[in-house]
Amino acid sequence: MTDRLSEDQRALRNAVRELADERIAPRAAEIDQTGEFPWDVVKLLADHDVLALPYPEAYGGLGGDLLTLCLAIEQISRVCATSGLILAVHELGATPLMLAGTDDQKQRWLPDLAAGKMLVAYAITEADAGSDASALRTRATRDGDAWRIDGSKRFISHGSVAGIVAVFAVSDPDPAAVKAHRHLTCFYVEKGSPGFAADRLEHKMGIRGSPTAELTFHGVVVPDTNRVGDVGQGWDLAMRTFERSRPGIAAQAVGIAQGALEVATKYASERKQFGRPIGQLQMVGAMLADMATQTEAARQLLYAACDEIEAGSPKAASWAAMCKLFAGDVAMAVTTDAVQVLGGYGYITEYPVERMMRDAKITQLYEGTQQIQRLIVARDLLTKRD
Amino acid sequence: MAGILVIGEISDGAPTRLTLELATLARGLAEGSGAEAHTILVGSGAGSAAAAVATYGPGVLVVEEAGSDAPAAAQLAAVVAPLVAQRGPDWVLIGATPDGKDFAGALIGLTDLPILVNGSGVSWADGGPQVEMSTFGGRLVTQSGFTGKRGIILVRPASVVAEPAARVGAVETVSVPERQPLPEVKVTDHVSQVGATASIEEARIIVGGGRGLGSPQGFEVVQALADALGGAVGATRAVVDAGWISYGQQIGQTGKMVKPDLYVACGISGAIQHKVGVQTAGTIVAINKDPDAPIAEFADLMVIGDLFEIVPRLTDAIKARKSGGG
Amino acid sequence: MHIVVLLKAVPVVGTERLDGASRTGRGQLESNGNDEYLLEKALKLTEAHGGEVSLLTVGPAPALEALRKALAMGATRAYHVKDDAIVGSDIRATVAILEGAIRKLTFDLLFVGADTSDGQGGVVAPALAVRLGMPYLSYASEIEPAPDGSRVTVHRLSPTGYDVLEAKTPALVMGTQVLGEPRYPSLRGIMQARSKETVVWSLGDLGVEAGNVGEGAATTRVLSAAAPPQRSGATIVKDAPDAAVQQVVDFLAARRLI
Repeated sequence: MTDRLSEDQRALRNAVRELADERIAPRAAEIDQTGEFPWDVVKLLADHDVLALPYPEAYGGLGGDLLTLCLAIEQISRVCATSGLILAVHELGATPLMLAGTDDQKQRWLPDLAAGKMLVAYAITEADAGSDASALRTRATRDGDAWRIDGSKRFISHGSVAGIVAVFAVSDPDPAAVKAHRHLTCFYVEKGSPGFAADRLEHKMGIRGSPTAELTFHGVVVPDTNRVGDVGQGWDLAMRTFERSRPGIAAQAVGIAQGALEVATKYASERKQFGRPIGQLQMVGAMLADMATQTEAARQLLYAACDEIEAGSPKAASWAAMCKLFAGDVAMAVTTDAVQVLGGYGYITEYPVERMMRDAKITQLYEGTQQIQRLIVARDLLTKRD
Repeated sequence: MAGILVIGEISDGAPTRLTLELATLARGLAEGSGAEAHTILVGSGAGSAAAAVATYGPGVLVVEEAGSDAPAAAQLAAVVAPLVAQRGPDWVLIGATPDGKDFAGALIGLTDLPILVNGSGVSWADGGPQVEMSTFGGRLVTQSGFTGKRGIILVRPASVVAEPAARVGAVETVSVPERQPLPEVKVTDHVSQVGATASIEEARIIVGGGRGLGSPQGFEVVQALADALGGAVGATRAVVDAGWISYGQQIGQTGKMVKPDLYVACGISGAIQHKVGVQTAGTIVAINKDPDAPIAEFADLMVIGDLFEIVPRLTDAIKARKSGGG
Repeated sequence: MHIVVLLKAVPVVGTERLDGASRTGRGQLESNGNDEYLLEKALKLTEAHGGEVSLLTVGPAPALEALRKALAMGATRAYHVKDDAIVGSDIRATVAILEGAIRKLTFDLLFVGADTSDGQGGVVAPALAVRLGMPYLSYASEIEPAPDGSRVTVHRLSPTGYDVLEAKTPALVMGTQVLGEPRYPSLRGIMQARSKETVVWSLGDLGVEAGNVGEGAATTRVLSAAAPPQRSGATIVKDAPDAAVQQVVDFLAARRLI
């Protein structure tokens, strides 16, 4: 599709695409219908080292750069958004650890994550704190060599299946600290810790196979050696994590759009009305053309963003926001149009586009709503730089 | 000796049909060019095979050799290379069989002669041989020639029809100048395997089976038709890779190239890799459920239907006809 | 154990063309049909007995793609002979170039894939063996080095089954697809291929004179090319089985095939 990719990026993209087409695509409808977390897909991705992509080679990973990771997420999401999210969250949850963990901490957890033996989740959102991270309430209180965590998190992807969870808790509730963004600390909490539970799973519009959990913390004791980054560094880690995780969601969105485009195009070339394939009717053709153009634009913006972010651009936050903003809106528009192209058939579950449309919506909501992304881009535009 | 030298192959004391085809070809080229032509036979049994070859015209050179435990091509090279160096034929014709190719390669290594391969036809023009070759998956047929006055030509089976000559050629026993043995390889055993059959490249009628057969048992239907027609069984790569039949029966780009008078394709889609191996057959009949299968593009007769309904009935009809009925 | 696998980079099947000078056009390249089977066998052998697999290819820059895939499958390093003067080389020149390259390497086994129908006729490998003074074992359906690596046993396909061949190493083995399906490169392999060694040689590095190879030195040439005679399209028979079979019988009888 593009010669901007290096040879091994192309080889990797093709290998993941083949795997997705042959082994994941046949499962997609079932995963959506049953709403069951596809452990078989986790194993498949682990066996093929896909889950090792985000991690450094020193810890058993493949040392893939951001673009390589996004290529893989895109190809999987093309056939199943739930499965694509498995890889995206696998990167998201471990990013604070990779950014700020000690060598000891990385050694404790990264090898199992790279081997796909354990999953990881990322818990920042709370019932009353979504876009407004200053409203976080989950508390971490110092207790000798350890910390006590009390509170709850909501809408945590993989929260119920992860072996460890990156938890962002308030370590300093002082308004001055909150204002200075020094109020949060990041802890990795292990599953099975007394007082830590993953309860209520949400019933969702889309990505139904992905477990979205509420996590509760009742006096959960976490050793200080599980703290990642400095006390008060949580906010900074979260912001830097977004720079790497938002492209992953953009990749999921581009993948969903591509999948829908392919189904719609195939349908339009086979379905005949008025004596010819409907793709030849101008109104349908125009829709397909817009869908294809938008998808390609989202893809190219994503690839450019990955390169910029990987190169350490000072505008990384804006790039991440832009590509996620654009791709999410494109996914929603393209999948909606895909249903339109299929007409009545697009509305029934026998065809995958209604599922893709339901799946697409989340890309406009999580990892920061589209409105938050716009705030970030605007702020960056208005920032004076030398 | 200037002229043309055919390297003959012997099987069970008799010359192979390809050898007779090459002898016929050499005779034709010699007549067209005024050059001399000989066929050389090497090995124990060369003497008795020589008489048969001589009826195809060109002179026959016999080298009686005891068998050894070296591979056939190596034995040939040890003996023929020094003869070629000594007698200096201008053109050497070799059959494109596995042993033929091994031998031709060794000959290049020892004599540095130029070579044209994959020949499906040889004619004489402008003072030298012109070799016809099918390339690029059969999309092109090329004519190639040598820039010099000497060379080796590898010729495919069934490129020429073997025809006895008006006059029987002379048979001459020759002795070999110093043998040049190749680095040692020992043949320590010959293992027969159930299902392995004689080379299908010689067959005049081939019935091929592909994925449409559904299972290894599907080949029973193909074999029955082949038996009724007096032909051999061929296969596509897909079913060989699936283990339904042996590699020796594979027809196509990475298998055998065949040119039978009749090829009956059962449950074969006709993908290009298979097409390459069979497209020069005299007549191609295809039986397939899928009317859009690519084989329709190069078959002469295409029967759309269930091969398990068609093929057994066809087998019966042919048997009936052959026994005087139908 | 060190096994060198020869990779022929050939035009992707279906994309081949002759350019204006009747030379094979240089488009996208991939590994020759059977070469990956030999690579797979080499990888299996070194995985079982220890050792490394090196690749050798002669070809223009696009040959790199085939090399990269082979490195991703698990080969340790690649040698790439690249020189504009090679274009248009005939079989003799190809043998000379390969000989020059192989003389720079030390190995126990040299693997070559059986030619495809559009290949060089299966003669390069035996010619090479003679030039190198190495035993040549062809059409292998099985390859087994001795535990100490000093000898190799090969099953050579025959019309009735196979012959068992033995020779001392270093030896040149030409093998077939019967050796076993090549593995898909793993993601780990693809990522690791980036850091694997690729040595690039020109003709000068091999001690081969540019004047002895290439188009100018070719001993054969294409005189003309044409599309093959078109088969007039198929007669389609759609009748019920009995009627269809009768038509086939009549058709074959009319052509005197039965």
